[in-house]
Amino acid sequence: MDKDFMTHAAADADAFLLASRFLAQEAKVLDERRFDEWFEMLDDEIIYEVPIRIARLKFADETAGDGHFIHDNKSRLKIRIDRLNCGDCWSETPPSRTVRVVGSVLVTSTERPGVLEVDSALLLYRQRGSDSNGDTIAVRRTDVLRLGEKGPTLLRRRALVADTSLRTPNLGVFL
Amino acid sequence: MYTYQPISSENDASYIAGLCDRIERSLDEGQMPADPFRDDRVFRAEMERIFTRSWVFVAHETEIPNSADFVTRRIGLDPVIVTRTRDGGINVLLNHCRHRGTPVCAEDAGNTTHFRCPYHGWTYKNNGEFVGAPEMQMAYGKRPDPKKWGLIRAPRVEVTHGFIFACLSDDAPSLQEYLAGAGWMFDVLFGLHPDGLRVLAPPERFVIRADWKSGAENFSGDSYHVGTAHYSATLSGFAAGDLRNNGNRAAGFLLDNGHSFVGHRLPEWFGPEFQFWGYPPELRAQMDLSNLDETQKELLTTLPITIGTIFPNFSFVRFPSASAPGRFPMAYTDIRLWQPLEPGVMEMWHWQLEYAFMPEEYQRESYIAGQFGFGAGGMIEQDDTVLWEGVARFAGSPWARRDGIPMHYKQKRVEPDPDWKGPGQHFSTTYGEYMQEGFWRRWIKDMRDHAREANQDG
Repeated sequence: MDKDFMTHAAADADAFLLASRFLAQEAKVLDERRFDEWFEMLDDEIIYEVPIRIARLKFADETAGDGHFIHDNKSRLKIRIDRLNCGDCWSETPPSRTVRVVGSVLVTSTERPGVLEVDSALLLYRQRGSDSNGDTIAVRRTDVLRLGEKGPTLLRRRALVADTSLRTPNLGVFL
Repeated sequence: MYTYQPISSENDASYIAGLCDRIERSLDEGQMPADPFRDDRVFRAEMERIFTRSWVFVAHETEIPNSADFVTRRIGLDPVIVTRTRDGGINVLLNHCRHRGTPVCAEDAGNTTHFRCPYHGWTYKNNGEFVGAPEMQMAYGKRPDPKKWGLIRAPRVEVTHGFIFACLSDDAPSLQEYLAGAGWMFDVLFGLHPDGLRVLAPPERFVIRADWKSGAENFSGDSYHVGTAHYSATLSGFAAGDLRNNGNRAAGFLLDNGHSFVGHRLPEWFGPEFQFWGYPPELRAQMDLSNLDETQKELLTTLPITIGTIFPNFSFVRFPSASAPGRFPMAYTDIRLWQPLEPGVMEMWHWQLEYAFMPEEYQRESYIAGQFGFGAGGMIEQDDTVLWEGVARFAGSPWARRDGIPMHYKQKRVEPDPDWKGPGQHFSTTYGEYMQEGFWRRWIKDMRDHAREANQDG
C-alpha cells in the first residue's frame, strides 16, 4: 500500500482519537458538573455560540438572521460558571442531572497547524428539579480544537440545536 | 405532569363569571385566587374573550422590510402570516387554506408573492386574494369568487413606531385609543429618532411550563422579585451593582386598559451617565426630542422607562447591562410576547431591537448585551422561567383549589404622585403591586365581556 496513504491514515486516526477523547472527557466533566475543570479545557480565545434557528426550506437560510441564544467569549463563560456556582442560581437548583451522548465525530484538519475542526452530534438528556419529565436537547456541534502544550483546548463551538423553539425552559446547561 | 382540573357542577361560563367576581373581591382585599394561572376553562375563555378581541403585537416592520417579505406568527392559538405587499402594505392573514384549512405557509420567514396550499393547490396572492386552483374548469366549472375565497385577513392592522399590532375584532377601538397612555410611553421609548428602531435578529423562542400571565404580570411592575430571583446576577458579577432593595429605585406607571410601565432612577442609582438609559453622549446628540413634552423629557434624564406590559401579552425591557465584564453597561431593547400554548404553558418569543441610526458595531454589541441577560440563555431570565413554573403548579394544586388558598397582593401602599403630569397614575415606588392589580382588573373586564361570542350566538 502507498506509504503516504498509510502515514495520512495513521495521522487521521490519531486526530480522531484525540478529538473523540477530548469530547468524551468534556461530556463527563460537564455531567459531573465540574465546571471549573471544564473552564480549564477552554481556549482563552474561545467563542461559544448557540445560534437561533428558524424553519426554512433551505438549510443555509435557517440561521441566516445571525441570531443567537448564547454568544459567549471566555469572560462571559466565566460569569456563567460563577453564576452556576453561586448558590442562588434558581434555574439550576437543584442542578439538572444530565447525560451527554456524543457521536458522529468527524475530524478535519485546517490550514492552521495544530488546529482541528471537529464535528459531532450531542444528545443531552436533562432532568430538572426532582420530579419533572426530562428534556432532550439535540445538537449538532461544529468545534475548533487547538492543540497546545498541555493538550487540546476548545477554541470555538457552534452548537446548533434541532429545535426552532426550545423545549427546555432555559439553557442553564452547556451544549 | 398531570394537569389537575377540579370537577364542577357549574358550566364553563358560570365558572368564569364566578371566578371574575371572586378575583374582584379578592383584589379588594389584596388577594388573588390561583385559578387563572392554570385552568382549562380559563384558558379557553381567554382565547375567546381576550386574544380574539385585543390588539396583539405580531411583528415589527423591520422584520419584513422588502416587498414580498413575510413572517409567520400567532394571535392566541391562531397562526397568521404577516406579509409586505409591493405597495408597502402590511397584511395579517390567517394561515389556513379556505378550501380545507391546511396551512398555506410552512416557513417561519421568507419572501414570496404567492402562497400555494400543498393539499390541493389553491393559490393566493400575498395580500390574501384568491388567485386560482388547479384544474379549475374540471373541478369547479367556474372560478370560485376571489372576493369571497381569499385568505382571511385580520380585520384591523395598525402600526405604531414600526410595531405591527393586529386585532381580530371589528368593533375594537383604534390602536392608539387602545394603547392610551402607553402610546405616550412608546414615544419616549421608541420615538427618539425618525429612523426608528430595527429588529436585530429573528425572534428567540422557548417553551416554559408557566402561564403567559406570569410573564405579563411580572413585567407590569414586579421589581420586588429582582433582589431575590436575580441575586445570582450580583453574586456572579453579571450586574454592575447590588440588585437587592431596588424597589424604591423604581417607580410605577399605571395606565388605562391594563397597560403598565416601570422606570428606574438610573442616574441616581448608577451615575449621571445613565440618563437616557446610558446611551453614549454622541448617540444622544443625534436623537430628536422635538415630539416630546416636558414630562417625557424629564423621564429621559431622571427616570428612564425600563420595563412594561401592554395588555394582554406584549412586554419590553430596556436596561443598562454590560456585554462583557469591564464593558460600559449599555442600553439594549428587548421586546417579548408571552404566547399562550395551553393552560399553564407558554412560549416565550423575544426580539432585540436597537435604534437604526446607531453604528452597526454598537447595534451588534447591544444585541450581545441583551441576549446575555435575557432569553433562555440569559443570566437574568433563566431564573424567571423556573420560578414561574411554580406558580402554575400551585394553580394545579387540588388543596389550593379546594380551599381557595389566596395569593398575597398586600404590599404597603402610598398615594399616587399628585403632581404627575403624564398619563395614568404615577407611583414613586413599585412596592404596592398597583400595576399587577391593574393588569388583573383589565383581565376581569375582558373575561366578563361575553356578549359578542359568535360561536355561542350561533
